Amino acid sequence: LDLEAQLRIRDAAESASTDELTRRIAQLDNEWDFDRAVETEAALMGLLGLGLAVVIDKRFLALTAFVSSMLVLHATHGWYPLLPLFRRIGVRTQDEIDRERYGLKALRADFTALPPAGSRASERAAAAWKAVCE
Amino acid sequence: MRTEAQALRNDREARPDRVRAHSSQLQNQRIDAQTRQCLERYAPSDREAIGRHIETLDREWDVERYLQMNAGIVSLSGLVLGALASRRFLIVPAVVFGFFFQHATQGWCPPLPVFRKIGVRTRREINREKYALKALRGDFEYESPDSPSEQEERSCAGPLQQ
Repeated sequence: LDLEAQLRIRDAAESASTDELTRRIAQLDNEWDFDRAVETEAALMGLLGLGLAVVIDKRFLALTAFVSSMLVLHATHGWYPLLPLFRRIGVRTQDEIDRERYGLKALRADFTALPPAGSRASERAAAAWKAVCE
Repeated sequence: MRTEAQALRNDREARPDRVRAHSSQLQNQRIDAQTRQCLERYAPSDREAIGRHIETLDREWDVERYLQMNAGIVSLSGLVLGALASRRFLIVPAVVFGFFFQHATQGWCPPLPVFRKIGVRTRREINREKYALKALRGDFEYESPDSPSEQEERSCAGPLQQ
């Protein structure tokens, strides 16, 4: 996934116009990150377990219990049973998405307006803030 | 002031962060103000100090992590109570997962305002501070912005530098 992102940035460096870069950044902003995929899946499985427990057999509550404990595991250790599957279909973490995003922003020359080192701290901070918000 | 308001508006239009969209404006503003204070504090610092701060940012717990933890624990307690005390407690995991699904798709769930109030940030907000600091540290500076290969190198390397 890192390699793919790097190739896309190389591509953009060679050919993309500012509009094209802006369009790609907007696309990245709409991408579903890993946490969101996990949350959707966990919520559906948890509800499914409860539904089956009510309709068929209460032992299906074990599914809900399993999903709940896996959520805690993911929050604390970052591992999740479906992690390999999600990774294979190309779901990225927000950190990975943002890395590509700010790479594209650098290409769009968003960071060139920064006052040089040595100028007033508040000015530099304001310019950096403006650059990341744009 | 005008450019600030504009930057904020641009940000909201350009980055549909679903958690920000469902937080009160006051909470968003407070979180942004803290980030800006931090940028001002670190603007004159040396590379090592900024690098150390970026490491703490990478370790910071984001709001999704708190919510997953919270949902897992509350739902498990509901299940245990359902098994030990009364079956009616099973309504707890049902409500938790219902809202959790809503959070994943739309970005709001009941515990969210509480976490936002104590200043828990989204990963995007944390990364915004991180990349602003990297810009301040000079990670994105390059000599000639016209040469694509050099540009590419900086754009790939800038975000990766620790």
